[in-house]
Amino acid sequence: MAKKMLEVSELTTKYITRTGENVYSVDHVSLTIEEGKSLGIAGESGCGKSTLALSLMGYYFAPLHYTSGTIVVDGKDITGLDPDVVRKTVLGTDVAYIPQAAMNALNPTRKVGKFIEDVIRAHELPMDKKQIREMAEQRFALLGLPVDSLDKHSVELSGGMRQRVVIAVSTILNPKVLIADEPSSALDVTSQKMVIKMMKDMMAKGLVKSMIFITHELPLLYNVTDDIMVMYAGQIVERGTAHEMVFDPVHPYSRGLMRSILVPEEGTRDVKLTAIPGTPPNLKHPPAGCRFAERCRYATPACRYNQPPLLEFAEGRSYRCMHSVDHLKEVYEGED
Amino acid sequence: MSKGYRKYFKKKIFWFIITFIVAVMLNFFLPRMMPGDPVNAILSKTLGNTTDAAAIQKQYEVYQQAFGLDKSLPEQFLIFCKNAIRGDFGLSFSQYPRSVSDIISSSIGWTLALQIPAIIVGWILGNVLGAVAAYRRKIWDKVVMPVSLFFSAVPAFGAAVVLLVIFGITLKWAPVNGAYDPGMIPNFSWEFISSVIRHYQLPFFSIVLISIGGQAVGMRSMSIYELNADYVKYSRFLGIKDKKIVRYVFRNAMLPQVTGLAMSIGSSVGGALVAETIFSYPGLGSTMYKAITASDYPLISATTLIITVMVLIASFLLDIIYAFIDPRVKAAQFD
Amino acid sequence: MKNILKSCLHSPRFMTGFILFIILLGIALFYPLFHPGNPLQMIGQNSFVEPGTYLSLYDANTVNLNGKTSTFIMDDAAVNRADSNISEADRQTMLAYLAAAGVDVSHLDTSHENLDSLVTLWQENYDSSKKVEGYTTSAKKRDLRTLNSRLLAALNAGEQTLLTKNGDEEVRTAVANNAYVRSNQVANVINLPLGTDNFGRDMMKELAAAIGTSLIIGLIAGTIATILGLVIGLLSGYLGGIVDDILMFVCNVFTVIPGFVLLILIYYSVGQEARGVTTCAIVIGITSWVWTARSVRSQVISLRNRDHVNLSKLSGHSLVRIIVTDILPYIASYVVMAFILQVSSGILAEAQLSLLGLGPKTTTTPTLGLMMNWAMLYNAHTQGYWWAYFPVIAVIALTSFSLNLMNTGLDQVFNPTLRD
Repeated sequence: MAKKMLEVSELTTKYITRTGENVYSVDHVSLTIEEGKSLGIAGESGCGKSTLALSLMGYYFAPLHYTSGTIVVDGKDITGLDPDVVRKTVLGTDVAYIPQAAMNALNPTRKVGKFIEDVIRAHELPMDKKQIREMAEQRFALLGLPVDSLDKHSVELSGGMRQRVVIAVSTILNPKVLIADEPSSALDVTSQKMVIKMMKDMMAKGLVKSMIFITHELPLLYNVTDDIMVMYAGQIVERGTAHEMVFDPVHPYSRGLMRSILVPEEGTRDVKLTAIPGTPPNLKHPPAGCRFAERCRYATPACRYNQPPLLEFAEGRSYRCMHSVDHLKEVYEGED
Repeated sequence: MSKGYRKYFKKKIFWFIITFIVAVMLNFFLPRMMPGDPVNAILSKTLGNTTDAAAIQKQYEVYQQAFGLDKSLPEQFLIFCKNAIRGDFGLSFSQYPRSVSDIISSSIGWTLALQIPAIIVGWILGNVLGAVAAYRRKIWDKVVMPVSLFFSAVPAFGAAVVLLVIFGITLKWAPVNGAYDPGMIPNFSWEFISSVIRHYQLPFFSIVLISIGGQAVGMRSMSIYELNADYVKYSRFLGIKDKKIVRYVFRNAMLPQVTGLAMSIGSSVGGALVAETIFSYPGLGSTMYKAITASDYPLISATTLIITVMVLIASFLLDIIYAFIDPRVKAAQFD
Repeated sequence: MKNILKSCLHSPRFMTGFILFIILLGIALFYPLFHPGNPLQMIGQNSFVEPGTYLSLYDANTVNLNGKTSTFIMDDAAVNRADSNISEADRQTMLAYLAAAGVDVSHLDTSHENLDSLVTLWQENYDSSKKVEGYTTSAKKRDLRTLNSRLLAALNAGEQTLLTKNGDEEVRTAVANNAYVRSNQVANVINLPLGTDNFGRDMMKELAAAIGTSLIIGLIAGTIATILGLVIGLLSGYLGGIVDDILMFVCNVFTVIPGFVLLILIYYSVGQEARGVTTCAIVIGITSWVWTARSVRSQVISLRNRDHVNLSKLSGHSLVRIIVTDILPYIASYVVMAFILQVSSGILAEAQLSLLGLGPKTTTTPTLGLMMNWAMLYNAHTQGYWWAYFPVIAVIALTSFSLNLMNTGLDQVFNPTLRD
């Protein structure tokens, strides 16, 4: 069995609003990623996937707060550590982050090379200016990025280049877990492809030990990640391999999500597009029963009063629904 | 030089030249729209009760020629431009036969030495205050905001007068009149320099005080905008210390304040010049005041022109400096 | 509209500013009603008379002559008299003498509270024949003697005698030190809450009138600047193209040329004769529209391609109608705020101009700037006549403070995002 790179159990974090209300946007989430594997997280906007990405780093600042649960990175529990220790020893080295709006993630008035220097200095690594420069040049060359971009400001780089520089900077310390939050959503198709290729490349070269890829563009996930997890209203609603999740989703939400998107693979060409009506619930006041019941076409009165648990129904596959797997599959077959 | 820079500089130089031309024209033509004959005004002053019509007529022609008023307006304008380039602004009415350029050259140095450091110090202090206010917003909103709103409502001359009375008259910390002790002849002795420094303090601090408020308010909103920028969050998650990030933020917020200064210098210079008159500081402000009270219009015209040119040059230089220190300028030119 | 008014009422900043403004406006409107007369009338023969209530000495004496005084026996009357007649320097002399004479005065200073004990100690220990070290020269002795007699006069005077001439008849009247006249009995009392200025004019009356005039200047200048800025900004932003280019060209030029210089040039060129209050306001107005025009333009540009505007265009509505119904309502809040700021900077601009000697030529009404100008010309500030300049500065500052407060208050109401 492969080494577990990230093991999260029952992680709960909350936002505290200005009016003092608690909003639990990550609610008892557990997940595991093995070395060399990647996990995709899918869901509509506002379902908590970006918050999950921020929560996984063990470094919290207002308005996001840690509530309960553990995060273990390569055997090391990073929850409950002093924030400055997390900053120095976890961020960038154990867990690294690629932000959603990577286009604007670089300080516009700092040269890329200088910024890398700041990152290395922040971790108090025993390297002088020259060594840092050499390391950065090597890494840029390895990833096929022009070395002279180290002497440029982010404003002088094109959008796609900026994105790739951000990825290179994020992974400069060879993180064990890389969390990428929609790293390609704002790019044109060519740049998107390059970014995806670069990330796969880094996994293959072992620069990154494991990866979490968050997106609402499911076709990307299918091509990039080994497993896919679907989130809804701060909870995991289903998990499986990429293939299973795309061709055989069980949860009505996953099914709706997969079917609202065209996956350019054989056998899916003639699947009809169906959007899911409605919007995710307001987590200030989460529903008492199943959080999806409001929008679910298969909901029964019982769904509105009972919270379904996350059940494992096959090796590596779990779902959160009141209905049995068999029942759901029967219903789905009747529809097609 | 990259393409972005070239485009930026071309644009700035173009505007500088155009504004310059318009300013010179306004400066020449506006006062000449003044109803009444300026020469008559001087004649009545200099000749007093003379009733001899021939003598008046003769003196009238002398003045007309001396001031070049016997030619047509466009002709006068060309002569004015030609003379202005050579630094010749004609003769002063009120200090006749002293030349205008002589009067101005004796006061311009004082103004530059007073205003430039004061505006720079005021700019720095205002920015620091604004940055702190953005970082500690609770204190700002409860205390600093109303207080600085009140202080920015105090007119420039008001601040100058209050400082003068408190520190000059009551506490006697510094002299309140002129740029050096009366009776001294400017030289490079220690005695003279220390006198200059003592006289410098109050006008300096009042101009600093005047310029802090507006800068602080601008810097605060700029910093708040930067604090919410994406790179702040990203840098944090890369493990960079908050202290360092705060430095990024304030640098980025402060740089655009350079152009802010370039834009506002035109509107704030009036107050600063009036502050000079309160302390009878022998700069352009006081010269202009004297010229206005004496209806000395060649001198008024020259002081306003010099002030305009100085402001134009200052804001042009600031724009150029800004282009070198802030790489975002280049990006803006590609849009 | 109702909601906006309501939230204005709930904004502490707006309300503080509003109340301050109303108070200033109230002074301008009502003070002249209760104290009618020409605010520029020179009532005093001395310049810079201190603030206070002035009783006619002649009339007070007449009351005494008529025997209409009242008698009050007050314990502290003597001390009060001593207090106002024995100067700080006198007290220091007394302390120094006592100390030299070997009396313990370490617990005493020159304050009002200590005067009683100081005087007692003095009376116990002062002896003109005694030899005290440091007070042996005849000049020093003489000084002490006159001090002592002044002290005695202030403390013990039983009566003063007034000699009144009425034609040839001379009347001697005694003025007892415990005789009082009611201030209403005195025929002529002048109330000068802020004293007089260098020309002997009632400062308070002048100030009330000046607040009014300066507010009018601010309003006229603000209205002109806002209308000009609004029209130019609207045209430039909405029409775009060549119109925009030309207008923005003008705007750019006038942003850098100091408004203050322009003001002087235009103002000077209208000529001295025409330089009334209204001209002053108009000139200020036409030199300060640039910022308003710029901001209105950028707002209009962001509105120009909104759906509702496009819909109006497609429906064939006229330019005026589109601007009035589809654009103005969206920038109205901004225009109101710009107007408030313009009023405040108009008042400041007038003050600055007047200080340079370019104030409105007027013989009927003062402005805040002119009052400041007069105070400076006659060196009120270097001679310690605070009442001649400080109230003026305070009023200018409070006026623009109140307007700025209202403005930030409105900003919070109109742009709720700024609240956090």
